[in-house]
Amino acid sequence: MKLIGIAGSIADQSYNRTLLQFIAKHFSGLVDVEVLDINDVPMFNQDDDQTDGAIIQNLCKKINSADGVIIATPEHNHSVPAALKNVIEWLSYEVHPLDGKPIMIVGASYHIQGSSRAQLHLRQILEAPGVNAIVLPGNEFLLGDVKTAFDDKGDLKDQRTVDFLQTTIQNFIKFAKVINMIGETNNYEEEDLSAQNGTDTTIKGIDMNADDWLDRAANKVSAAEGNDYVKLDSGLLTVNQLDYFLKTIPIELTYVDENNQFLYYNHSLPTEKMLAKRTPAQVGDALDKVHPNIGRVFKHVKQVISALRNGETDLVSMPIPGGDPQKHHVMHYYKAMHDDENNYKGVNEWAVDLKPIVDEYLKATGQKLVKDPNAKMDAMSGASKKTTEEKPEVEVDATSSASKH
Amino acid sequence: MNGMIDGMNKFIAIVGSNSNKSTNRELLQYMKKHFQEQAEIELVEITGLSIFKKSIDKYVPQVARDIAERIENSDGVIIATPEYDHSIPAVLSSALAWLSYGIHPFVDKPVMITGASYGSLGSSRAQAQLRQILDSPELKARIMPSSEFLLGHSLEAFDENDNLKDEQIIQQLDGLFKDFLQFVDISKQLNNANTVNKQKAEEFSWDKD
Ligand SMILES: Cc1cc2nc3c(=O)[nH]c(=O)nc-3n(C[C@H](O)[C@H](O)[C@@H](O)COP(=O)(O)O)c2cc1C
Ligand SMILES: Cc1cc2nc3c(=O)[nH]c(=O)nc-3n(C[C@H](O)[C@H](O)[C@H](O)COP(=O)(O)O)c2cc1C
Repeated sequence: MKLIGIAGSIADQSYNRTLLQFIAKHFSGLVDVEVLDINDVPMFNQDDDQTDGAIIQNLCKKINSADGVIIATPEHNHSVPAALKNVIEWLSYEVHPLDGKPIMIVGASYHIQGSSRAQLHLRQILEAPGVNAIVLPGNEFLLGDVKTAFDDKGDLKDQRTVDFLQTTIQNFIKFAKVINMIGETNNYEEEDLSAQNGTDTTIKGIDMNADDWLDRAANKVSAAEGNDYVKLDSGLLTVNQLDYFLKTIPIELTYVDENNQFLYYNHSLPTEKMLAKRTPAQVGDALDKVHPNIGRVFKHVKQVISALRNGETDLVSMPIPGGDPQKHHVMHYYKAMHDDENNYKGVNEWAVDLKPIVDEYLKATGQKLVKDPNAKMDAMSGASKKTTEEKPEVEVDATSSASKH
Repeated sequence: MNGMIDGMNKFIAIVGSNSNKSTNRELLQYMKKHFQEQAEIELVEITGLSIFKKSIDKYVPQVARDIAERIENSDGVIIATPEYDHSIPAVLSSALAWLSYGIHPFVDKPVMITGASYGSLGSSRAQAQLRQILDSPELKARIMPSSEFLLGHSLEAFDENDNLKDEQIIQQLDGLFKDFLQFVDISKQLNNANTVNKQKAEEFSWDKD
């Protein structure tokens, strides 16, 4: 289970941060805790919306892809510190990553009953409709007298405190599992494969599903072509040079934008020879036009894209079945693309036959393959593993996968 | 304290919002105008303040020190708070933290809490938390008891001349403000322990064992 830890303090030295770091270290066998920094979060201001900035987007992405959040709060003037409240305001304004998210509250303070009032306020705040988090009931963990609580390695000294903390965390893990199972409905249904919404780069006024979309759309925007130069992040090429280059990459590449529109593939082989079959007429099509609406195909495509868009995983991979397994092992990869500000920009999809690569390696190193009697094979693996282990709904079964274009 | 020269009380009114167009600011502007015969109300903005941060040298920004001085020299404080996520906005909470960090302008200062929000409850939960905050050892304000001014549906509450539309609400506000004036007067007679109380707040430290 993957958790995010947020210390409600921006002080250079914070016991609440130390507490979270201790949890991350000491319970690493139980949970994977990543402690996030809130030091650079700007002051919330309705008139200066920075939701789209890298700082909030990053927090959002991390929280979205976690199974739960642990918040460690100090107490300032009988309430939560402004710096912590400030983060929650950003996360309850234009985006709501804490919605439905299991949260555990802990707190460290200089006093015996310290942070109890802050924890109570924090509960009320997290349960407000704009936040709508699901806070672990009971299980209040207050670490009083914090100045003497840690040794110089940052470990809690008192074994009973560690034991109690462990019980609390185990309760939270159970709680989070149940909550996430209920929330499993997963908003993949919201994926619009017909690409109706458009995005800022969508070319308007031309039927995207038309066979000659490419020519008409290129004409409409007076696209660069031939020997026109295109300035790239680390290079300058003409359009022709780009084409030579992409067409000779020994992998089949496909570009689908954030609006679920199929914009490009590196066309070098005739359709029937391709690992994932595509035709020039499909270019520009909405995704529901490139996939057959049979069986669970649409559902699976939506699940994959939704998982990439929402940061549940960065990479989905699956083998393409069929063919002679002695000769081919064709893999399909779907990788989320992002701009500099971490906004989702679509899918980089590639298909590649791994068998020749493995053969080449074996030949070059003088080895051969033997069967592993203990091997378990799975059809798909998310980069974070979590997708396959704990989110069976996102699993795409190989036979009717998104790969059948 | 001050303000007694011409017999009129002088109040500092803190706008608890950093929005350009704030209904809480509108409320305080209305009070300033509406009660101009009874008190001098001066609006204070907290927008320029950074997020509260502890430091070893207990640094407090000059903007906060200036606000503290204006509060010191006033007869009382009116706070108008929005409600964000069932509590006061971070920007207000941050300002109050600065105003309690080695400086103690709120100790024994009469405070009237008001608030406006877009919803129907008019910041009631934020106001409840604000009371608890103002009651903490380093703020120790004298909050006017059993009074609550909640302006719900605040976007529709004012007419084109920036006056409150609802006669009943105006009457309630008039009553509360009258009470506040009396509360301030009584407070002035209760100031025998003020020096001691200030001393206590100053000596109090969360950093102590
Ligand atoms: C402005 C201010 C107000 C504080 N108010 C409280 C309080 O109301 N209750 C409390 O137990 N501690 C209070 N403290 C002490 C904090 O709990 C302590 O400094 C805390 O920040 C320690 O956590 P940290 O090391 O993670 O920052 C206050 C500290 C400051 C600077
Ligand atoms: C992040 C955020 C959270 C909010 N939460 C609440 C809330 O919990 N209750 C409520 O009545 N209004 C809530 N609102 C709406 C506020 O009532 C409204 O923005 C504010 O109180 C109006 O004050 P102002 O006009 O002075 O800025 C929220 C607004 C924001 C931006």
